[in-house]
Amino acid sequence: MRFTVVGTPGERRVEAFAAACASSGLSRPGVLPWTDVLSGAPLEVDGLLRVDSPGEDAAADALLRGPGDPARVGGGARWYRTLRRGLERLRPFPSAGDVDEIAVMFDKRACHARLSAAGVPVPASLGPVGGYRELRERMAEHGVRRVFVKPAHGSSASGVIALQTAPGRIKAVSSAVPDGSGWRNSLRVRTSTSEAETARLIDALAPDGLHVEKWFPKAGLNGRLLDLRVVVIAGEPAHAVVRTSTAPMTNLHLGGTRGPLEDVRARLDWSGAMDVCARAAACFPRSLMVAVDLLIGLDWRRLAVAEVNAFGDLLPGLTGLPGTRAEGLDTYTAQIRAVLAAREGDATRDTGRGASLCGT
Amino acid sequence: MSHYEYVESFAGLPVFDFTPETGADGLPGAAEAAWRVRLDDFIEDFAPFQELFSRFLEAVDTTSVTALIVGNWGATHEVPAVRPLELLTGASERFPALKALFFGEWLQEETEISWIEQGDVTPLFTAFPGLETVVIRGGSGMELSPLDSPVLRELRLETGGLPGSVARALGASDLPALRSLELWLGVEEYGGDTTVDDLGPLLTGERLPALRHLGLQNAQIQDEIAAAAAGAPVVARLESLSLSMGVLTDEGAEALLSGRALTHLKRLDLHHHYLSDEMAERIRAALPDVELDLGDRQKDDWRYVAVAE
Repeated sequence: MRFTVVGTPGERRVEAFAAACASSGLSRPGVLPWTDVLSGAPLEVDGLLRVDSPGEDAAADALLRGPGDPARVGGGARWYRTLRRGLERLRPFPSAGDVDEIAVMFDKRACHARLSAAGVPVPASLGPVGGYRELRERMAEHGVRRVFVKPAHGSSASGVIALQTAPGRIKAVSSAVPDGSGWRNSLRVRTSTSEAETARLIDALAPDGLHVEKWFPKAGLNGRLLDLRVVVIAGEPAHAVVRTSTAPMTNLHLGGTRGPLEDVRARLDWSGAMDVCARAAACFPRSLMVAVDLLIGLDWRRLAVAEVNAFGDLLPGLTGLPGTRAEGLDTYTAQIRAVLAAREGDATRDTGRGASLCGT
Repeated sequence: MSHYEYVESFAGLPVFDFTPETGADGLPGAAEAAWRVRLDDFIEDFAPFQELFSRFLEAVDTTSVTALIVGNWGATHEVPAVRPLELLTGASERFPALKALFFGEWLQEETEISWIEQGDVTPLFTAFPGLETVVIRGGSGMELSPLDSPVLRELRLETGGLPGSVARALGASDLPALRSLELWLGVEEYGGDTTVDDLGPLLTGERLPALRHLGLQNAQIQDEIAAAAAGAPVVARLESLSLSMGVLTDEGAEALLSGRALTHLKRLDLHHHYLSDEMAERIRAALPDVELDLGDRQKDDWRYVAVAE
């Protein structure tokens, strides 16, 4: 049994997964560079594919979005078209993921629609908008003053704007900073109270597609806002991280920090929360792993799924929840074990599911 | 530090949320909880809160309620605070036992503190003369006439900008029982035009004989306030002083250290500050027996108060 990782050779995800293979007694995984996948180079796959992120590689980004500063905001539509072409090339190979499901997860509108149709709680959507003016019209129609504006195809909160309005007032929080004629991502969030600037940002992002959701007021703990990143492996919520921040976005690279899981577990209907994550993951049955971003309402009772991430398992040092099959295992090892167990056919109750995870 | 969480207890009582989802069953005894009446969604209208408040009056024996929190009453830009205030003061005879009131417990995830449109809050004090504890959140448009209460023990005004007129009214108030006063002064951009002069009567403390804790916090002019506090007669009788949450720099701290002795304090809260390591060390060395909070040091080039917008 061998894996081939679609990723960036030498990058930390690839190396960490190789280490997990080694600790599970598997040979070193092959690496299929995203740049080969995206550039049309011949593809060689040995064993089971693990499709991981093309992120953190300027060359892959240049192929996906076209040449330019990798820190720039925007270009999501082209990024997504290229990604889908690359995924299409991977379709013939046995995989722990699924190219169609990955494609849905990287389209926030499609992902939201799929979750919503399955009855998974999600923040209300205001539908697609073509620009700032249309956004404000849609907000007025819905009687909504606070929204999250998300590029349809983005990750790491790039281009996400937490927007609140009142007559004559506006406050927009995002990681985008003006840069010449465009925008670039910063490693900290920034607040703008200028409507003109906010309108320019949203109008710049709109051609690549926007998904707009009603702001879901989040719970706080110890003076910080929080949400959960839950890694679901073979249908089971296996790893959970509390992400906390003093900004509306909790992404760890934007100043978010890991929070106290035990305190959150004690406060929350934990099994109900994990059930929501499992139901979100069940919308992607052919994916060995998905990472669910779960919002907890400020009353600690309401729940909503903000995102489902195809590549959201980079959580170094995090071991699985007690009582799960991932207990004591990091996210990568837990996935490898799930595949091996399914292959042996003795560890999963649902053999059909196990077979599909093995790509056989 | 900011307001991301609802308080879980208030005036020594556990908080019970009375929201549109709250049913008639399973309610605690009226005197056994601090009741928080609030909507649980963004609603652009006051009618749902009126309805909720009527239901609260029916479901709970409010004559025994001692602690009340009023939260989300409908979108702050649509519903100025004077509406729930009038609703509450209009029902004052239904709350003869009320001792503690938190008016405007909005969270940051619901609205910005400076977007809460306050008005004249004096009627809260006159309609409920038995109030011993009052917290008001939001200072935009706040007005206050001088108060006269023999029982008010704790007062906190949490604002992103406290009008100087409110500070002056407090200075002209007769509050012989007031033990704890906390003012979040905020920034000028959000109406915080309180000056050190406006705070003068509070700093002499002549009309505040019972004061033991003073917080002059969250101020853009925190350095000036620290300098004024350093020479303030009232400090001599305090057990606890807070100059936290504001733009306190080495300049303000220097003034504080060179003023009247602070060694009698049990506690000095300076958290959220812009002090150098050297200055922090000097403060520790000068006040070895004082419980110091020098946490949450700010490293930003932009110097900002903890809660403004």
